[in-house]
Amino acid sequence: MVVARDIKNIDGMLLAPSGCELTERQINILQAWGVTEVEVEADDKLAQAHDPLAQLPPEVLGRMTADLRARFWKPDEFGPVPAEIFKLMLLRQARHSLRPLA
Amino acid sequence: MITSHPPSIKAMVQAVPRSLGSYGPVLQEIEQALQSPQCNLSTIGDAIQKDPDLTARLLRLANSPFFGFANRLSTVAEAVSLLGIQQIQDMIVASSVLEQFKGVPDKFVNKDSFWRHSLAVGITARLLAMERRLPKPDKFFVAGLLHDVGRLVLLSQAAEWAQTVFELYQRERLLLREAEKRVLGYDHQQIASELLQSWSYPPVLVQAVAFHHTPGQSVARMEAAVVHIADHLVNAMGIGSSGEQFIPPLEDKAWSLLGLELETLTKIVEAVDEQILAVEEAFLKNDPPAGHERKL
Repeated sequence: MVVARDIKNIDGMLLAPSGCELTERQINILQAWGVTEVEVEADDKLAQAHDPLAQLPPEVLGRMTADLRARFWKPDEFGPVPAEIFKLMLLRQARHSLRPLA
Repeated sequence: MITSHPPSIKAMVQAVPRSLGSYGPVLQEIEQALQSPQCNLSTIGDAIQKDPDLTARLLRLANSPFFGFANRLSTVAEAVSLLGIQQIQDMIVASSVLEQFKGVPDKFVNKDSFWRHSLAVGITARLLAMERRLPKPDKFFVAGLLHDVGRLVLLSQAAEWAQTVFELYQRERLLLREAEKRVLGYDHQQIASELLQSWSYPPVLVQAVAFHHTPGQSVARMEAAVVHIADHLVNAMGIGSSGEQFIPPLEDKAWSLLGLELETLTKIVEAVDEQILAVEEAFLKNDPPAGHERKL
């Protein structure tokens, strides 16, 4: 885990600079200083593992998007709500397609 | 043989028999029990228990994620006390309405698929109403369940005209409702409105069904908007079908009227996915042998 923003105590004293790798021991020390939360850099691999769209091969995702688009009535005229529903449906389909077969 | 003019909505609706199907005797007994001064949960439970199939379906539904009770319900009396008599009556009556159309041929619309779509719209409408904290969210389940009943009337009473409608919508890639209007001069919303009015359904429910594609034109705008959004979502989710080839358009104003955050959609879709199988089990699965076909 890499610190994204300087960690300071309530008096402004720097406890860990941004870019610093956090170990378990350092986390214990920070807790002792009363630090309850820190900002860490996003783990791309972790984020990707949780994003079903990122896990699909591009050609599968492309086909899925085109098929879904063809089912909507006049997708070029989408307002914000149908656009959100479209994104949601794409995610749902991707999740279903990645589900292991029972 | 196709006639030169499409049938009038009134003529089609009058030809639909008004019967409560196989649940008629139970519903009659519940009505009678309710009128008695000695009526209590146990007498209502007894009336329902005389029908073992209805009892099994009711308990299956009561113990499903649709209601989400923490403890398992094992008796009909418990189910009646938690679900409410009115709600149980409403669900049985709404189911019997769709049951009446079981003879409709599957040529254009597969009936199981139609049922799945109707159930899913009912579930979604109820969830939206609960999220918006509207009173009596279970009424929305009934409205959702019946929203496309006008299509069943058309298919059962004017099959040749239905065929013309379906041919036009496939050939010209129209919305099914547009094809209905072009061929017949009216659409399934108007047929359903006439049917439910003639059966003395509450005006708000009639409005919600009669304007589920055009909620802005309804005097019960909120109710119609809920069914409108539910129908759009379920079509987008691809749960069953009432024959439509496209996901019908959504009125942005309907969503604004509900005043819900867009993030709510994720929660609703997940809840529908969680509930649909259990509700289908209660309504559709393990039908008794032919001749006793029925749904809750």
